[in-house]
Amino acid sequence: MDRVTFTITDMHCPNCVMRLEGIEDDLPGVHRATASYRSQTMEVEYDEALVTVKEIASAIRDKGYEPIC
Amino acid sequence: MNNILIALITGLTTGGLSCLAVQGGLLASSLASQVELDLKNLPNTRTKGKHKKAAAIPVARRVHLARPILLFLTAKLLAYTLLGFLLGALGSVLQLSPISRGILQTAVGIFMLGTALRMLNVHPIFRVFTIEPPPSLRRWIRKLSKGSDSAATPLFLGALTVLIPCGVTQAMMALAVGTGDAVSGAAILFAFTLGASPLFFAAAYLTTRLGAALEKYFTRFVAALVLILGLISVDAGLTLMGAPFSPTNLMIRLSSPQDQTPASTGAPAATTKMGELIVNAKNTGYQPEYLQAPANQALNLIVKTQGTYSCSRAFVIPDLDINEMLPVTGSVAFEIPPQEAGKILYFSCSMGMYGGAIRFN
Repeated sequence: MDRVTFTITDMHCPNCVMRLEGIEDDLPGVHRATASYRSQTMEVEYDEALVTVKEIASAIRDKGYEPIC
Repeated sequence: MNNILIALITGLTTGGLSCLAVQGGLLASSLASQVELDLKNLPNTRTKGKHKKAAAIPVARRVHLARPILLFLTAKLLAYTLLGFLLGALGSVLQLSPISRGILQTAVGIFMLGTALRMLNVHPIFRVFTIEPPPSLRRWIRKLSKGSDSAATPLFLGALTVLIPCGVTQAMMALAVGTGDAVSGAAILFAFTLGASPLFFAAAYLTTRLGAALEKYFTRFVAALVLILGLISVDAGLTLMGAPFSPTNLMIRLSSPQDQTPASTGAPAATTKMGELIVNAKNTGYQPEYLQAPANQALNLIVKTQGTYSCSRAFVIPDLDINEMLPVTGSVAFEIPPQEAGKILYFSCSMGMYGGAIRFN
């Protein structure tokens, strides 16, 4: 299981956290996503055999946020 | 009463949108499964062209979508009323004296100011004024929101919104704690949630995307309102503590001539006879707000009420540890021990919203 941390500076309210963590359900291979509004980051645990960092970043963009890896 | 009205108006004007922006995701998830079910169960009406089906879909959706939204909002209303009750009770446990209550109210105001500054993105440091549920709880709520379409789901999700309050709601929760009374706390959150419901319902009903879109335009407005409420709360807290620098007490002092004799100022005509001061506690505050009294002699302060229902009935003199609920109509006498010349004794209602002062010469 690999781990990547994104900085997401356009989280503008605590609800963004739950919205972003939804990639856990949307993207096969994402084991765990934990976002923080306070630190404006999201840590993702993923299976690199099933999903790539690029795909995770793309899923974040689909939710309307710009991830910085 | 004023706080309840403020809560209701806040809910009506900004609460619905603000709550929808934060809690709309939960509702949207439960509505999504309802929409899917509607489409699945839609009777095959395509007998006379596509227009007939096009008309049938919105009607079916309207009926079915209104139900989970109403259930969601009902559960939310009940849950927040209960939360308000508990927060008010917590405030009453914390309330040891008017001064401790003033400290609490000031802290509430600071939280509100921090929330407003966070919403305005003034500085990242203000993000500490956020209640973030732990990741495991967030995950549980998210999984649950993808559950079945039964009545239990929107009811349960509506109740769960207490775990993800929006910024304005958090400010109202703080206000509920500040009341120091379980019933008042419940009334504040009931009024706020009820006020927020029509807009929440309308916006959710039209489209669940509306909240996010409108939030962009309304955040500043909401933040400005919370900022004002925060300033009012800080002022009330400081007034309740008898702080001479609270805006209310400063205004009372600045607007009252200090060097004139009681007879020439008009206001201190409240002194009717030797050693007796009279203040009228009205629904809109105390009259007169500013009195002068002779120093170094004991006095009787008589506070009169006549059909007074506002918080001015709950009379407080922090320095003398006086905290008395006055009758709706009547008068109550308080003994004021001799005070030094130049001393200013502040009094207020128990919410710190109305104040007054006695200057000893």
